Amino acid sequence: MNQQLSATELVEQVSTGKKTARECVEQSLAQIAAHDASLNAFTSVSDESAIAQADLVDQQIAAGKSVGPLAGLPIAIKDCVCTEGQTTTSGSKMLEKFVPPYNATIVERLLAAGAICVGKTNLDEFAMGSSTENSAFGVTANPWSTKHVAGGSSGGSAACVAASMVPVSIGSDTGGSIRQPAAFCGVTGLKPTYGRVSRKGLIAFASSLDQLGPIARSAKDAALLMNVIAGHDAGDSTSAREEVPNFMANLDQPLTGLKIGICKQHFESGLAGDVQTQVESAIDILKELGATTQEIELPHSRYAVATYYVVAPCEASSNLSRFDGVRYTSRQPGENLLAMYEGTRDSFFGEEVKRRILLGTYSLSSGYDHELYLKASKVRRLIKNDFEAAFSKVDLILGPTTPTTAFEIGQHSTDPLAMYLADIYTVSANLAGVPGISIPCGFSNDGMPIGLQLQAPMFDEATLLRTAHQFQTQTEFHTQRPTSAVT
Amino acid sequence: MTDPQPNLAQKIAKLARIRLSADQLEATEAQFASIVAYIHQLDEVVIADDIEPFFGATESVNATRPDQVVDSYAREKIIANAPQTDGEFYKVPSVFEK
Repeated sequence: MNQQLSATELVEQVSTGKKTARECVEQSLAQIAAHDASLNAFTSVSDESAIAQADLVDQQIAAGKSVGPLAGLPIAIKDCVCTEGQTTTSGSKMLEKFVPPYNATIVERLLAAGAICVGKTNLDEFAMGSSTENSAFGVTANPWSTKHVAGGSSGGSAACVAASMVPVSIGSDTGGSIRQPAAFCGVTGLKPTYGRVSRKGLIAFASSLDQLGPIARSAKDAALLMNVIAGHDAGDSTSAREEVPNFMANLDQPLTGLKIGICKQHFESGLAGDVQTQVESAIDILKELGATTQEIELPHSRYAVATYYVVAPCEASSNLSRFDGVRYTSRQPGENLLAMYEGTRDSFFGEEVKRRILLGTYSLSSGYDHELYLKASKVRRLIKNDFEAAFSKVDLILGPTTPTTAFEIGQHSTDPLAMYLADIYTVSANLAGVPGISIPCGFSNDGMPIGLQLQAPMFDEATLLRTAHQFQTQTEFHTQRPTSAVT
Repeated sequence: MTDPQPNLAQKIAKLARIRLSADQLEATEAQFASIVAYIHQLDEVVIADDIEPFFGATESVNATRPDQVVDSYAREKIIANAPQTDGEFYKVPSVFEK
């Protein structure tokens, strides 16, 4: 069945004429039609334009023209990434009718490579959240159990891959928003190094932390996407000029001699027993593959969530000031300009977005707690220094992606602080800028997926992908699919 | 840690241009108290005098490009997203009294 082919196999079959792009897209759309009513992974599906694009790819192949490395590959894109002519809501009533006049750079690159966007995926409003419960368009359910959240903020992007609606998708990660939903849904999610993938056209949440990346069924498929989306873009002033390797090239290289650091703080209180057991089993598998392990310290990581909840809201309060009823689709009329601003922001922002704007305003305003931002930025330096010290001794750092498996819908919705702690193992990478990947490493006692996180030094996604791929050659966790998704 | 101030949520809401109802103000005050207490864990951290703040995840040099005229996005597509326009400009409530 098409849905179970890897992206790599699917592209190969389309390029060699064994399968048409139209067949791939139609199967993807059929799977979405069959299951999205129960999952709500998509905010919009673009049937007609996807089929038209697929026909174009098929015509090129029939005419013997060369096609891109993602020819015919159906892909879903998180709805905070601008797509020209296609509504881009960022999960907010504020942008319910927003139609971008341009494509984000990542979209341009994917389309140029022959990928076909079948739809936009659900997210927590403006990517603020860990469960997609903050979406203005309803929660995304976990394909493994629809009582549970898919995670967030890229919950739709993770759920649609887990449910075999698309082989690959794009998410964004500001504090764990690719890795945490990937862990909750049993798929592979990579947050690249800050600056590796252009942010032009990504609706900004916290600009010094935001990074786009792939969600896929395997590390190999994630590598295939990275080869297309990574690289400098003059349209993003924070885009890195670092050389981009071929991420597929060394996947088969053995792990002999690879040094993996284990941080004991990642195995302390709050970690669920079955998560710990499966992560420890994964360590044994990596050792059998030739890796060695040693204990490392990240002493300031315990302050990462506190640091994040100063830095991210400060940046968000500034970034979201543009939504004031003047330029972007939604307006609550008022008797004067100020009443219009306040009424618009009250009516069209959700509770969590307001909370974070208020928190950021509090931390940045003279007379309140304005020294907090400077203090947090210094602790951020200490967190970065911890990573640099650790990576002088080891090649990768390993731990659980999340302290628990997916929680139930509604479980944390009245306690924002409890929700923030879902990101406890992932936020440090965003603060430091280093890349991280989550891969499936087992299942909990009640059958929910467990994620293993690997983190690497700046710009070493290749080692993350190689290690993840080698792990996936020895395990079948990543090939398991929820029964709801099997047609 | 900064002591909670009376009407804090209301003052912050005004600065953030967000109108909050009485119920929302009360809920915000309560949630703020626990979140602010949590982030003030940062007060425990011993920070040496020579630690420079880290504001961004890359510390690359300024990005520059040639000063060339390039096409921008079509004005009509941009302005089509506005809630109210005269076809050419954004329309907003009067700023100055007549």
